[in-house]
Amino acid sequence: MELLDNLMLGLSTAFQFKNLLFCLIGALIGTAIGVLPGIGPIPTVALLLPFTFGLEPASAMIMLAGIFYGAQYGGSTTAILVNVPGETSSVVTCIDGHEMARQGRAGTALAIAALSSFFAGTVATVVIAVLSLPLSALALKFTAVEYFSLLVLGLIAAVVMAHGSVMKSLAMVLLGLLIGLIGIDVNSGVARMTFGITELSDGIDFVPVAMGLFGLGEIIANLERKDERRVVTSQRFRDLMPSWADLKQAFPAMLRGTAIGSVLGVLPGGGAALPPFTAYALEKKVARDPSRFGKGAIEGVAGPEAANNAGAQTSFIPLLTLGVPSNALMALMIGALMMQGIQPGPQVMTEQPALVWGLIASMWAGNLMLLVINLPLVGVWVSMLKIPYRLLFPAIVLFCCIGTYGISNSLFNVWLMLGCAVIGYFFIKIGVEPAPLLLGLVLGPQLEENFRRALLLSDGDFTVFIRHPISAVLLGVVAILLLAMLSPAVLRKRKEALTE
Amino acid sequence: MSRRIDWPDLLLGLFLLLVATGTLVATRKLGVGTAANMGPGYMPRVIAIAVILFGLFFTGRGLLRSHLGIAQVHLRPLLAIPLAVALFSLLVEVAGLAVASLITILAAAYATHEVRAREAVIFGVVIAAASVLLFVKVLSLPLPIWPPDLFG
Repeated sequence: MELLDNLMLGLSTAFQFKNLLFCLIGALIGTAIGVLPGIGPIPTVALLLPFTFGLEPASAMIMLAGIFYGAQYGGSTTAILVNVPGETSSVVTCIDGHEMARQGRAGTALAIAALSSFFAGTVATVVIAVLSLPLSALALKFTAVEYFSLLVLGLIAAVVMAHGSVMKSLAMVLLGLLIGLIGIDVNSGVARMTFGITELSDGIDFVPVAMGLFGLGEIIANLERKDERRVVTSQRFRDLMPSWADLKQAFPAMLRGTAIGSVLGVLPGGGAALPPFTAYALEKKVARDPSRFGKGAIEGVAGPEAANNAGAQTSFIPLLTLGVPSNALMALMIGALMMQGIQPGPQVMTEQPALVWGLIASMWAGNLMLLVINLPLVGVWVSMLKIPYRLLFPAIVLFCCIGTYGISNSLFNVWLMLGCAVIGYFFIKIGVEPAPLLLGLVLGPQLEENFRRALLLSDGDFTVFIRHPISAVLLGVVAILLLAMLSPAVLRKRKEALTE
Repeated sequence: MSRRIDWPDLLLGLFLLLVATGTLVATRKLGVGTAANMGPGYMPRVIAIAVILFGLFFTGRGLLRSHLGIAQVHLRPLLAIPLAVALFSLLVEVAGLAVASLITILAAAYATHEVRAREAVIFGVVIAAASVLLFVKVLSLPLPIWPPDLFG
């Protein structure tokens, strides 16, 4: 059983003491930023990237992944107790979770959220393990032609599935690709668009771009809003263990949520936002008495929570098997791999088995830790909410500065981050989602290289992309997606689905 | 009835046009080559032209479609946050991390009108000390803690 061997290898990597430690650190940081509104996983991962250079690749990835799924847990805690979603993924948890808290069942809601997340995380880990092998085996047959088409599909699908206007997102992808071209051209050794700045010859670092666009830009925009008072539900959490009746009621919802999350997470553009909304809608549909929803229905917590955790984890599948990130955060993970000197792609599975399987196994270990971190320690996290934003954001600004400096010990990156912060604010003001830009920036160099290699081999014949069958299918899907987006009916449906 | 303008679209369009034109100017001397043997200028030009098309689309839509303004811009955070970053950048290698951290925190804290001077100073000192410990001592980031000129 290759699968078992792989899982054993993964477990032995993940359960090394230092990797467990990094997993715990990641999960703790993730929970903290999940609890705190106003700082999300993207700037946090970007911030910590520079400090993972010194680590082994497996430890670095394990920690960064821990931040991502830890944030999903933390986000639900605030959603339930304060009615403020710490992350976008926990918006739906507010509806019934906070209602349960107001009825004095905060402990039960928290426990169900954590248990659902743990259950979903466990299942998703197995899903990743099972799906990874065949997918990467398929991807290993890819040549530059297929790989180019796959990258195009990944980019387009991520745009179509994500929030915001499709046209604007496409423009952002192109902008990202353009920025990704900055630096010395590998084939000819000529500097492109470096404007004589030596720091740009290796290409633009995506960490300052991510921190500026997502971290600082958002802070500037947040400060324009009126500070809303947060009321923390003050309760003793004596009823932390849910009753049998609660569990029995929640379990089917957990199962359905896990299934939805696992499927949607794999799709590009999926990840954290879409699955919980879909799961909530489904729970409402299958419930015998839909009117209970919004009034503290336990399924309304269990389903979405399971879905968002499962989705968060299965979104690693395209990254690990194909080297294609499904959202901006996965793009950062790809960047982390590249900084470790590992070229992302299907070959990672065979060349770095300890890394891949260690990462997968660590997710399960991490979920177990999160269960412990979240339930008994919930009081600690709640007290973190009492830190006012006026103290929080200056510290974030400072950490962004130090972190950006740390990537290559260069002040140039700090100035670059400053510029991106202003641009990020500008994007928020004109209602543009910057995530596609980051995807384009990270994938740009690979896209160009495969494009050029494919055309070099075909002697400049563009039809090569439709003459190769796999590539033709991939591009066909791209065409269908784009055409579908132009049809007004689909547009309206998509808008409904994303705003519900 | 003066027709108003869809400012978000118009501004995005102009921004894209600006970036794409800049790219074309910056890459004008790079060889394009042929599809089979692309020069370094091939991809930048192809993408820049695509960006120009998007820019024209948004500019046009912004001018034709009416009724969308932009929420008011507050200058205070927009100036204070970049200023804080700039101060960090200017100070950190000259004055050391401790001083730069404190000043960055203070400058950033003034981005909101809710700022309380005494609280900000105390908090700044604590965070500056913590950053020195964490980043220089634990993570061994090669930065001076104190002004290098004074402490050689």
